[in-house]
Amino acid sequence: MPRSRYASATAALVAVGVVLAGCGSKPAATSGGSAGVAQDPNAAFEVWTRSTEATAKVYGKIFADFSAKTGVRVDYKPVFADFDKQIQQRAASKDLPDLVVTDTGSLGVFTSQGLVGEVDKGSVAGGADIGERAWDNGKASDGRYYAIPFSTQAMVTLVRKDWREKLGKPVPRTWDELADLATAFTKDDPDGNGQADTYGMLVPGTTDRGYLGWWASSFVWQGGGDVVKQDGDKFTVAVDSAETVRSVEYLRKMFCDTKVVQPGALTTGTNDAHAFFETGKTGIYVTGPYMFGRFDKNLGKDKYEVIAAPKGPAGDTVLGEGENIYLMAGSPRADAQKQLAEYLISAEAQRAGMKGDPTPVVRLPVNSKVDVDAVYDDPRWTTTAKVYADSARPFPSVPNFQPFRQQFSETLNSLFATCGGDVEGDLGKLAGNLEEELRAQGMSK
Amino acid sequence: MTVSDTVHDTRDVGPAASGGGAVGSHPVRRRHRRRLTGSTFTPWLFLLPALLIFAVFKYLPMAEGVRLSLYRVRPFLGDLWVGLDNYARILGDERFRAAIGHTLVLAVGQTLGSMVIGFALALLLEGHAKSLWFVRSAVFLPVVAATAVIGEIWRLLFFPAPEGFVNSALSLVGLGPWTFLDSPDTSLASVVFVGIWKGAPYDMVLILAGLAGIDRRQYEASAIDGASTAQRVRHITLPALRPVITILLTLASIRGLRVFTEVYVLTGGGPAGSTDVWMTRVFTVAFERDEIGVASAGSVLLFLVTFALTVVVQVHRRRKEAG
Repeated sequence: MPRSRYASATAALVAVGVVLAGCGSKPAATSGGSAGVAQDPNAAFEVWTRSTEATAKVYGKIFADFSAKTGVRVDYKPVFADFDKQIQQRAASKDLPDLVVTDTGSLGVFTSQGLVGEVDKGSVAGGADIGERAWDNGKASDGRYYAIPFSTQAMVTLVRKDWREKLGKPVPRTWDELADLATAFTKDDPDGNGQADTYGMLVPGTTDRGYLGWWASSFVWQGGGDVVKQDGDKFTVAVDSAETVRSVEYLRKMFCDTKVVQPGALTTGTNDAHAFFETGKTGIYVTGPYMFGRFDKNLGKDKYEVIAAPKGPAGDTVLGEGENIYLMAGSPRADAQKQLAEYLISAEAQRAGMKGDPTPVVRLPVNSKVDVDAVYDDPRWTTTAKVYADSARPFPSVPNFQPFRQQFSETLNSLFATCGGDVEGDLGKLAGNLEEELRAQGMSK
Repeated sequence: MTVSDTVHDTRDVGPAASGGGAVGSHPVRRRHRRRLTGSTFTPWLFLLPALLIFAVFKYLPMAEGVRLSLYRVRPFLGDLWVGLDNYARILGDERFRAAIGHTLVLAVGQTLGSMVIGFALALLLEGHAKSLWFVRSAVFLPVVAATAVIGEIWRLLFFPAPEGFVNSALSLVGLGPWTFLDSPDTSLASVVFVGIWKGAPYDMVLILAGLAGIDRRQYEASAIDGASTAQRVRHITLPALRPVITILLTLASIRGLRVFTEVYVLTGGGPAGSTDVWMTRVFTVAFERDEIGVASAGSVLLFLVTFALTVVVQVHRRRKEAG
């Protein structure tokens, strides 16, 4: 090989090496955030929301209003499916969107991976209008804030009113009444078509994103159980406690004995699940208030009612979460991030988000100056606000709850699928794995 | 095997080896290699665009995957070196080992099922009539339809209640209702069924091509000798199809190991993890448990197994053809 060819080959190798090194040698930020990232006012300002097509329109309008007011252009990308997976893919290539609005449940993953930086609560204009309880949605296990709350909500129970009245059943107030109503919806032909094609309980029971754990958590708390319990500044595993076992057995009965759950539940995600309620296949759905608009349209406002969770042995606690505004790390537009976040929590944007038709993007406002009754003028939202105030709680604030929820739903899914399994034994085994996860996250007592 | 080997080989190998690529060392080529003329580099020049694209979109990401498998990956906090720890963790994961078992069942079931059904279809639909052409196209449709679409459609067809489509059809003949994807006992079999439904027509087309190559006179001669239809299939058709079957087996077993889309859409790995396969598990670990390093280790293992499998099949084939 002539010398010049060696030279060019060497040059090419060096070039590749430089590129590779460039990819890998970005200084490792210890706290995430945009500190130390070169700012560029001309860079695109990319904003993601976890939405459906309906909510994307509402967000689009809010962002357009923001642009009109401030002159900051928003490059808006609604993400319809696999939001977390797409974030992980973008994180792996170190090119995150600048700002995202998604579940409060993502806080743990984002902070433990350094995808978001700390938020200085005091410096957020309008932050004082946000109640302490809402701010907690942005607080991580270290007591610091890494996100700004945008919307809160509590799980409510949707019941087919027309079916219930036809069968002459009362509004369920207790677990027993709930189970009884679900059985009646399954066995007594509430739609009167002469066929056994209706079901009592609608469950999005796939393990994808840990959905089953999401759904089951409210019931577990109502039975006095828990996945992990706070104990001082650490946590202990509670998933094998007698109370948790009792709750899980209550749920398993629905899957295995009375068989009141819709078929295929254990592989059904939320998007597929909604259809079962609005097409008149199932009569009881424990879900968030964001579904009202869609069900009003596709099922009819008069056909279903919204109630607080029926009381279990230990109360009527339900999951209360919401959406946060996350200012993503590595952004060249830190000023725009802050500006948009401050706009989103303003009374004006919060109201606009609540008025989204058919689906509001702000469910219960975080801004205390916004009055739920005045904006919605709907008793169902009043119920939701009351449930949130009285009975809602978030998942435990371990650094990253995702692995707990994932393993919890895998175990539940397996228990409900096989029916013959040993609840206590399987939950005991799960407890061992969760204990290990607690240790890995440095949270074990 | 390098690319230059392949390029040179094409001029001096017989048809027997053209499917597999390189043959053993050859005097013509050896002489050729020593002479460095412009013509040595011309093929490289033509290959360069493809090689560059492969490098950027295949080889570099693969190398990156191997690198990630040795780290605890935290893109914004700096990766931590963990050595082979990720491999130990993925192999120690009970659900991952179960997933490997499911993958093997799925691969074997789909491969054999597709081949048997494809063979039957090919025998039935061989010929030149116009109507056959139409039926063949209709039968081939599942192959060209998007896998994700097929998954969604079969999810609906398999609806596990009496009013589900397949179950209502079954009830007409007094069967069912079956649970299909809803129970850990039947879910894997249902996924295998969908795989066969999609894969059999593809096998059929390749087998049809093989059948067209069989000399008709062999059938006539055997018929004159009094061979039954079954005997003709057994002693003429099957031996003549051996090369096609080898190719199908190789392709299908490798494809079977990498199965992802249909499982992901049909069941997402559930219920109770009963349909979790290699790739769905890797996917869950990467994007739901957010452990990119461990997931990369799983992918690297899959690559090694696939690679080894390919080499074994190639060596076996070449030995057979040489002998």
